[in-house]
Parts: sequence; structure tokens; C-alpha cells
Amino acid sequence: MTIEATHIPVLTQDELETPPLSLGELTWRRFRRHKLAIFGAVVLVLLFFYSFGGALFVSEKYANFNDTAQHLLGPNLMHLFGTDTIGRDILARTIYGGQISLLIGLFAVIVETGLGIVVGALAGYYGGIVDNILMRITEAMLNIPEIFLLIVMAKFFGGKIPDISMLGRTYSGSVILIVLIIGGTSWMYLARIVRAEFLSLKENEFVLAARATGTSNFRIIFLHILPNSIAPIVVSATLGVANAILSEAYISFLGLGVQPPTATWGNMLDGANNYLDSAPWLWFFPALLILLTVLSINFLGDGLRDALDPRSRTV
Amino acid sequence: MTRYFIRRFLQGIPLLFIISIILFVMMMNMGDPIATMGGRSMVRPEDRARLTRQLGLDKPIYVQYIYWLIGNDWTKSDLDGDGIAETTGTRRGILRGDFGTSLVNRGVPVLQVIGERLPNTLILMLASEVVVVLGALLVGIYSALHQYSAFDHFITAALFVGYSMPIFFIALLSMYIFAVLFKRWGLPYLPTVGMFDPQVGKTTGQVLLHMILPVTSMSIVSFASYSRYIRSTMLEVMGQDYIRTAKSKGLPRPEIIFVHALKNASLPIVTVVGLDLPFLLGGAVVTERIFAWPGTGRLFLDHVSRGDLPVVMGILMLIAVAVVVFQILTDVVYAWLDPRIRYES
Amino acid sequence: MLKRPVLNTVLAILIVTSLILSGCGGATSTPIVPGNTPQASQTPETEKKVATFIFTQDFDSLNPMYSNMWFSAVTQQLWNCWAWVFDNNNEPIPYLVTEMPSIQNGGISADGMTFTLHLKDGLKWSDNVPLTSEDFRFTWAMHTDPKNTVASAYPYDKMTSVETPDAQTVVIHFADPFAPWIIMWKGLVPAHILQPIYDAEGTLDNADWNMHPTVGCGPYNFAEWETGSFARFTTNDNFWGTKPKIDEIFIRFVPDDASQIAALTAGDGDLGTFIAYNDIPKLTTAGLNVVTQPSGYDEGLFFLDDTANKIGSPGLRDVAVRQAIAMAIDREAINRDLLLGKTKVPASYWDSLPFYNNPAQKNYTYNPVGANALLDQAGWIDSNNDGTRDKNGVELELTYGTTVREIRQDVQAVIKQQLAAVGIKIDIQTYANDLYFSQDGPAAQGQIDIMEWSDGPSGFPDPDIYYWLCSEIPTADYPAGGNWFYTCDPDLDALIQLQSTQVDPTARQATISQINQIFHDKVYWLGLWQDPDVWAIGPRLLNVKFSGVTPFFNITEWDLTGK
Repeated sequence: MTIEATHIPVLTQDELETPPLSLGELTWRRFRRHKLAIFGAVVLVLLFFYSFGGALFVSEKYANFNDTAQHLLGPNLMHLFGTDTIGRDILARTIYGGQISLLIGLFAVIVETGLGIVVGALAGYYGGIVDNILMRITEAMLNIPEIFLLIVMAKFFGGKIPDISMLGRTYSGSVILIVLIIGGTSWMYLARIVRAEFLSLKENEFVLAARATGTSNFRIIFLHILPNSIAPIVVSATLGVANAILSEAYISFLGLGVQPPTATWGNMLDGANNYLDSAPWLWFFPALLILLTVLSINFLGDGLRDALDPRSRTV
Repeated sequence: MTRYFIRRFLQGIPLLFIISIILFVMMMNMGDPIATMGGRSMVRPEDRARLTRQLGLDKPIYVQYIYWLIGNDWTKSDLDGDGIAETTGTRRGILRGDFGTSLVNRGVPVLQVIGERLPNTLILMLASEVVVVLGALLVGIYSALHQYSAFDHFITAALFVGYSMPIFFIALLSMYIFAVLFKRWGLPYLPTVGMFDPQVGKTTGQVLLHMILPVTSMSIVSFASYSRYIRSTMLEVMGQDYIRTAKSKGLPRPEIIFVHALKNASLPIVTVVGLDLPFLLGGAVVTERIFAWPGTGRLFLDHVSRGDLPVVMGILMLIAVAVVVFQILTDVVYAWLDPRIRYES
Repeated sequence: MLKRPVLNTVLAILIVTSLILSGCGGATSTPIVPGNTPQASQTPETEKKVATFIFTQDFDSLNPMYSNMWFSAVTQQLWNCWAWVFDNNNEPIPYLVTEMPSIQNGGISADGMTFTLHLKDGLKWSDNVPLTSEDFRFTWAMHTDPKNTVASAYPYDKMTSVETPDAQTVVIHFADPFAPWIIMWKGLVPAHILQPIYDAEGTLDNADWNMHPTVGCGPYNFAEWETGSFARFTTNDNFWGTKPKIDEIFIRFVPDDASQIAALTAGDGDLGTFIAYNDIPKLTTAGLNVVTQPSGYDEGLFFLDDTANKIGSPGLRDVAVRQAIAMAIDREAINRDLLLGKTKVPASYWDSLPFYNNPAQKNYTYNPVGANALLDQAGWIDSNNDGTRDKNGVELELTYGTTVREIRQDVQAVIKQQLAAVGIKIDIQTYANDLYFSQDGPAAQGQIDIMEWSDGPSGFPDPDIYYWLCSEIPTADYPAGGNWFYTCDPDLDALIQLQSTQVDPTARQATISQINQIFHDKVYWLGLWQDPDVWAIGPRLLNVKFSGVTPFFNITEWDLTGK
């Protein structure tokens, strides 16, 4: 790591009297300049409102209601987005499907970040044997292409989990499964990044100081070092949501994702496979929603990366 | 340095063992090869019982793992169901180079099954990698040099869109538009599926023509991330002091960009490319399925769905070995390129 | 010092050049400009007639011993030979034999245990070696040899011996009267080629002939097979029968449904297989002809009715509940809306065998009111007002599981809603194919109350069944048992055993109509839709007829128009 020579700051009167900006404020300032990122954030908020707020207007019973006589109708006044192969309203399904897709994205990232931080922090902080073993396991998982892991794990656990009722909704147990699988196959990158951060940070004086005052290792790791390495974690987590949503679409295409009748944007796309031209409304709306979500997350993550990374050039 | 690499190489071996155990356990519990042997109807009970015995599937997991690892020609099994183990096994195990025979394509050696499909995948993936790297270099460098220009914004937006779409979607859509619709509208069109047209035969021209759609679909996603990456690396490098020195020395622009800046920016790219290459073996699973390209990705899908343990393990282990080898190779190249890097002795 | 960027570009150029060079072993590549119709060959030789078939799955093996895959079996009419084939009405036509054996002509002994076949004159393999009764005996011997891991040894494992009194006569002995004799000899293996291999290696498992059967006995010869990509069959010049009109059959493997439709509509294929119903309009507008051919398969629901009262929901063991289910599902609407009215609701397991479904069974009609009344009468009422009926503290909650296929998942959602309307709660499960049908899978272990898959009499067009035999209930000693419904109905069991021994068709028909009636009254099986083979025929093909058993039975008559 090169150390850049900086000029000695000369404090003006103002700077002596006003407190220096905190990391959060600094980040916010830089973030504000990133127009695409702001756009992304706004769109994301709107999408969340669509999926969770929309549920207030449309009941789940209505979303699951099928009437084969009404199947494959194009967008009309009764059904704004049209109906699917067994007559369910697509607008309602995208709302409830959005809930599942977004939740999968969110929870998969929580699993992924949790695992990544734990493994990376322990490996980076303790070093030695612990580091060796943890890194071997990480490498082992990394060496297997993600799509293969997804396929194999999806089949391994398939079908064994019953329906679950949570947050007032009933849905297929395969949702938990998909969250675990996606989270369990993407934590490795974050673990490596966290480990690298810990390796460099643990030699700093504040750690020595903490150790000298007898702080427990646990507190040092999670209360001292971790907050300082938050930047790459935040960026990775944000982009991880996008990756999780795309992964969900992927395994749904292979038939191993969340099982119908529980809707997700991914398996709605899969169901539209054979209707690309005869019933474009089947895939258009879920595809658009996936695109908007992933796009805005990518913009957001890009903006966060620029804002949080001290070495970036956009200040 | 050499000792470091020898150590890395040796470290790779327990790694491969761990990988093989993880994969074997997962594979064992995820499918019954006999279940699909009945074709369109169910397997008859007598056949099921007989096949379980003949294929050695009635043995516990760890025994099957050991047979897979070191073969079973040192032990006898009961092939004819009379309860007496009198037939010596014929497998030599993967450690002696015998990857076993496929359960689905009965009797065909796994390496032969994989080997027939590997070149097809390599053609596709290498072409795709070349297109991506070259294209990303061009776009990334141009974008970095004209940061915040209209072109930069437009390209960024377009790349993000491409990066955000599921690949099967791009593939199906492009096939639908360029192959089916174009033909319907009388425009010059591209072929839909396969490697070549049977009426014409398997010529180079045919294969290249059929490669256009799959390679484009696959490249879009990687292209986006590579060029963003190159752009940001170039930006970082261009801001360095030595570039300012070169500029103030009055060196011609192309030389600054391609000689000084790119040389240093390309180091991380080498790493990324080097680490990506072994995964080429897996092939783009989804693209191959859609375009009916006979590669290893499709092979994996087909054989996983029929529980063909030897073939699937063979593919996964080959990839694992390739990844380990390529990681070490990348480190070698990296060290050769960057004189600042010295590995612990 | 230009190390990196030069290296980059040089490497790239090298790779691209090597790609081009590597492919350059082929013919003079006329620069293919997109837009050329790919049909007219540029060379002035006589035009070969090549028909392109599209298969959605790659064969696993071509040897009939090692594969039960439909895609592999149907090619046997191209390069292999069966003793008899079946026409478009699924009636048998003698192929290798001079006439179909029967009790009248002495081909079948009175006790149904001995069968005599007389082979035609002049039969030979594609290498001019005569095809004799020895090939039949060899086929039987190889199927039953424990050193060969054959996919299915049935019905050869029921034969006690196969004798060859002379080169044109085959005498087959069974241990018990064998009514389903029509399923014998679905493919032969050449003794003169494989016997030496068997003697040398002790098994036929690893023979190259399994994957590349260069010696066959059909109108076509196997030419090549590039796994995952294509297979080619060319005319057999030494064929003992009428030569085919088409010179070459090119089979291309396209696994994805959408891609298959795209290829067919773009004219890249002459024949398509297993077309989904919603794709039919697209194909007909593109000029293809879509044909359905009954093949004995019906999609239906099977019910877990554990006679021993240990496994599964007690609700399903009540006949009234099953009858209510039959009345509560609007199967006509499913056929009309989801299958576009192209099939019908099968009332009987033998729906495609009118001879045995005689008198023809009638369907339960869609009658939710009647279903509700029936359940009320049987004591299933909703005592705790949770929307689901219950009785004696047991809720009427059933698991309904099937495999991952879009039409099945649509049907599951529809049925769940219709059954909820009569107070039955359904819990939907889906599984991958090879997990669902596994011996350790959920269905075999009795974890699914309502099972669904497509099935029919095991040896269509023979009406034999065996699933509901009491002896087939899986136990710890016999885990491979096929009675995944755990049902032991003594009357049914006796009748099933009886019909498998009755070689006299009239007697057998009477037994089967009794079984038919039991199936209907006790609702052991509920048909959802008839599952025929759906073929798409391109405009170039002529004289095409299909069979439900041997689809390419008249392949020698197929022809291609000039265009």
C-alpha cells in the first residue's frame, strides 16, 4: 500500500471552530454528487413501496386466485398487467412475488454477510492455524463454480421443507432454502475482503491500545476493528443483493428455485419461457421489475463505493 | 520463491480432498440414478433391486467414496445376487487415473464422455473471453479518458443494463429477435440452435456463424463488469504522479496511455482473467442449454438431473484441479510482471 | 519495453488464429452469408434427401439392453429390428416373424407357457450375416446375465429357456403362463459381433457397439453420433426389406422447449417431438402439421391408501373422500383451458385400449355440491371453523406432490383451489424427477398423499399392470416394491394376478373390465388428461404415420418433397 505524501494542512479560523466532518457526513457529501446513485436509491424505495405497500391494496387471496377460463388475457381494465396461464392476475403476483424476491435478496445477503464477516474476521485476526483452515475451506468453496453449487444444493434439499407462515403470509418452504443456498454460496468473496482488511488493521495502534487495556478479543474484533472496515462490507452487501436476485432468477430458470404456486419474479420469468411472443405480458413485467431493482442496486452500490472508498477520485 | 510455489502446490492437495468429500456427500444425497432408468415408465422392482446391487449403490456412502477414490479391484462384490461376494471389481479409482464409467451412458469412461464435449465449450468460452477482454479494454480505456463525457454516461448506463439482466433472458430474446423474427421479416438472419446446419455440414464457417449468438449473449454480462473494472483501474492509475511526470515530459499521448498507464492497470486484469479461465470448463450452463450447444455445461445439467455421480464428480474435480493450477500460474505471472512483489521465502 | 500490452494483443491474435485454424480441417468453407437458405447444395451431385428430426434429449445408449429412454427406443425402427411392430392403431404387424403367434396357429401353447416364432426368409444384418434364431437366444442370454448391468431384464427374466431347433424357429419357454407376451423382442443384439466381445471382456457393458452400433438390421445404418449434438443414420444397402425413400436421417438434440419451437418455425427441423399444447398455434401458423398419437399414457392422480392404517392421512383412506375429490375437480375445464381442448379426460386406466376398456367407464362429473354432500354424509365436517373439514380430531389436510413441470404446477394450483372450495386443505410439494421416483424418495416412502405422474399399462399395448399388488408394498426386506400406494385390496390383487396369466384375450378382457370397475368405484386412480405423443411434422415430409408404440413403423415410406 503506497502512502501518499500529503501537504501539511493549515487550519483556518473556520476549521478550528467547526468540528471536522464524521465519516458518515463525508460519505453523504460525496454520495450526493453521484446522480445515478441517488436515482437508484429513489427507485429502490419506490419498488419497496410497490411490493410491500401494494399488498395493502391487493389481498394475497386475490393474488393466488386462479380461474382457468380467464387464462392468458392481455392487459385490460380488469387486470392491468394481464393474466397468466391459469388466470391469476399478474399485477397482484408481481406485488407478492416482489416481496419474496426482495426478501430473498435481503436475507441471502444477511446470511452471506454474516458468514463472510465471521469467517474473514476470525481468519484475519487470529491468523495461524485458524487462518489456514478457514482459508482452505473458503478456497474449496470458491473453487467450485457457483452455478454448480446452486444446482447441487438445490437438489440436495429439495422438497423436504413444508410451507411456512410468516409475516401474515403463507409461502413455500423453498424460500428459506433458496436464501440459505444463495447466502451459502456467495460468502467467500466477502470473507477474503474482510480478512485482508483485518490483516492490515490489526497492526494499528488503536488495536494495541485496546489490547493493552485488557479488552476481550471479541470486543476488539466486533467493536473496534470491524467498524473501521465497514466500507467494503457495505459495498459488497449492496451489490450482493443484486447478485442474489439474479441468482434466484437463474435457478428458477433451471427449475430448482422457489416452487410455484408461490410467486417470485424469477419463477414468473421462467414460466413465461414458452410464451415469449404469444403472451409477452407474462415476462415483460417481472423482467422490467428485476431489471429496475438490479439496476438501481448497482447504481447505489457504485455510488457507495465511490463515496466510501478514500482512494477514489470523485471527491 | 520456488519453495513458496512448491508449498502452494502441496497445499492444493488437501484442498482437493476436502472439495471431493464435500461434493461427494452432496451428490450422494441428491438423486437416484436408477429412478430415471425406466424411461417413460417406472423402473420395475426386480430391475431396481438388481441394478442397485450391480452398480454398487447399496453400499454406505463412505465405502462408495473409497471405491471412487482408490477403486474396488482389491475387493470382491456380489454381482449375481446369490449372497456370495465372488466377483472382483474392475475400478482402479481416481487416484490411479480411473475416473470411472458413466451410469447414464453405461460403460462409457467418464473422461471420454467429458472429452467429447470439452472442445466445444472451450471454443465458445475462449472466444467469449477474447471478445470480452478486447472489447472491455477498448471501452474501458476510452471511458476512462473521457470521464464524465456523454459517451461515458451512455456506455455506463448501457453496461449497467446489460449487467442487470438475467443471462437466459438475453439469450432467449436475442435468439428470438435475430433468428426467428429477422427470418420472418426477410432480413439476413442468424441460425437458431446447434453448432452447424446439417444440410451444409460441420464447416468452420458454419461453426463461427452459429457461435455469434451464444458468444454475444455470454459476453454482455462479463463485458459490463470487466469494462467498469478497467475504467476504474485506469482512472486510478491515470491520477498517479508518474503519469503527471510523463505528461509534463511531453510524451505522446498514445505512449502514455498504452505503455505507462495500461501496463500498470493491467495487473489486476491479469488476475481476474487468470482466475476466470478455469471456470470456462464449466461452460455457460444456461447459454448452452438454450442454444443447444453441445458443451460441458449442458453435460453437467443433463447428468446431474439423472444422478450420474461419476460424470458429475469428474467434471467438478477437473474444474477444481484447473482452478488450483491456474491460481498458482496466475501468481507466477503476477510475480513475473510486477517486480515489487516478492513472496515470502 | 512494451511487455504487457503487446503480450495482450499478441495473445489475442494467437487465440483467434488458432480457433480458425483448428476448425480448418473441414471442407472448403464457402463464406456463409447470413440469409442464404441452407438447403440448396452448391455441388452438382444428385441431391441427397436428408430429413432432420429434433429430439429434446440426447440418447444415453443405443443398445436396447442398456437404455429404456424413449428417444433411444424409437430409433430402433431405424437401425434395429423388432419381432413385430405396431401400426397407427397400435395393432401388431409381423416384422421379423411370418405371422403373429396365437393359440389358433399353434404359436402359443394352450397352457400359455410356450411360444413358437417362425422367422421370415432372407433376414440379415447390415454386414450381410444372416439373422437367425441364434440372435434371439443370444439376446435373451445377455439380458439375463448378471454380469451385464442391463436397464431392464423384463420380460426375459421370466423366460426359463429359449431354444433354437433350426435357424428360422425360436421356441420360448416361460415358468408361468405369460399373458403380456406381446412385449417380447423389442430389439435384438447381433450374436456374431457381441459374442466375441462378451467372451473377451466377460461383460457387454463397455462394448463400443453400445454407443456406436455400426451393425444393425433396419432400413438405416448407424453412421455417427456426436453426444449432445447430433446423430446420423444412412441407408442400409444390405437391408432385407424395402429400401427407404429418404437417404439420411439427421437427428439433432435441442434440450430447450422454446429453442425447439424456434428451430421448427425457422425451418431448421422437419420433425419435432413432445410439443407443448400452447405452442401448437405457433407451429400451425408456420406451416407445420401437429399430430397427437395415443401411446397409453395418461396423466392421473394416485392416492396413498394405506390398508394397514399406518402411513399417510387417514382422510384419504375413506372412499367417500376420494370420491368427493373426483367430483370436486373440474377436469373438463383443465383440459379445455390448459390443454387447449386437444385431449380428453380419461375415465379408465385403459382408456387408449378400447378392447379392454369395454364396457367403457364413465367419468365422475364435476359436481362440487355433490362432493360437499358426500363429505357431510361421511362425517367430515368443519367443527372448528378453520375452513378445513375434520373428523375425530383429524383435519382433512393432504400433501399433493409431483415433479417440476410447468403444466403440473399449474394444475396443482388449480386443484388446490377447487379442493379448498369443498373444505379439503392441500399442501403442495414439487420435486426433481430423479428424487421423486427414487426408491428413497418421498413417493416410495409414503410421504405424499396424492401423487401425480403420467403412466399407463406397463407394456402398452398390452394391458398388464402390477402396481397395486399386495406383494409389491415396499418393506424393509423389499425396499424396491412398486406399490407406493400401500394399498392391499384382496379382490383387486387376485384379479391382477389372474389377468397376467390369461393368454386368451376374451377371458382377459373380462377380468380387466372387473378391475376397471373396482378402480372406478374405489377411486384408486383419477385420470386428469390423456397424455399422447405430440408430433410436429414439417411441410417437407410426406407419408408420415405414427404409432404409439413404434413411432417410426413406416419410416421406409416417408418421403421429402423437392423444396
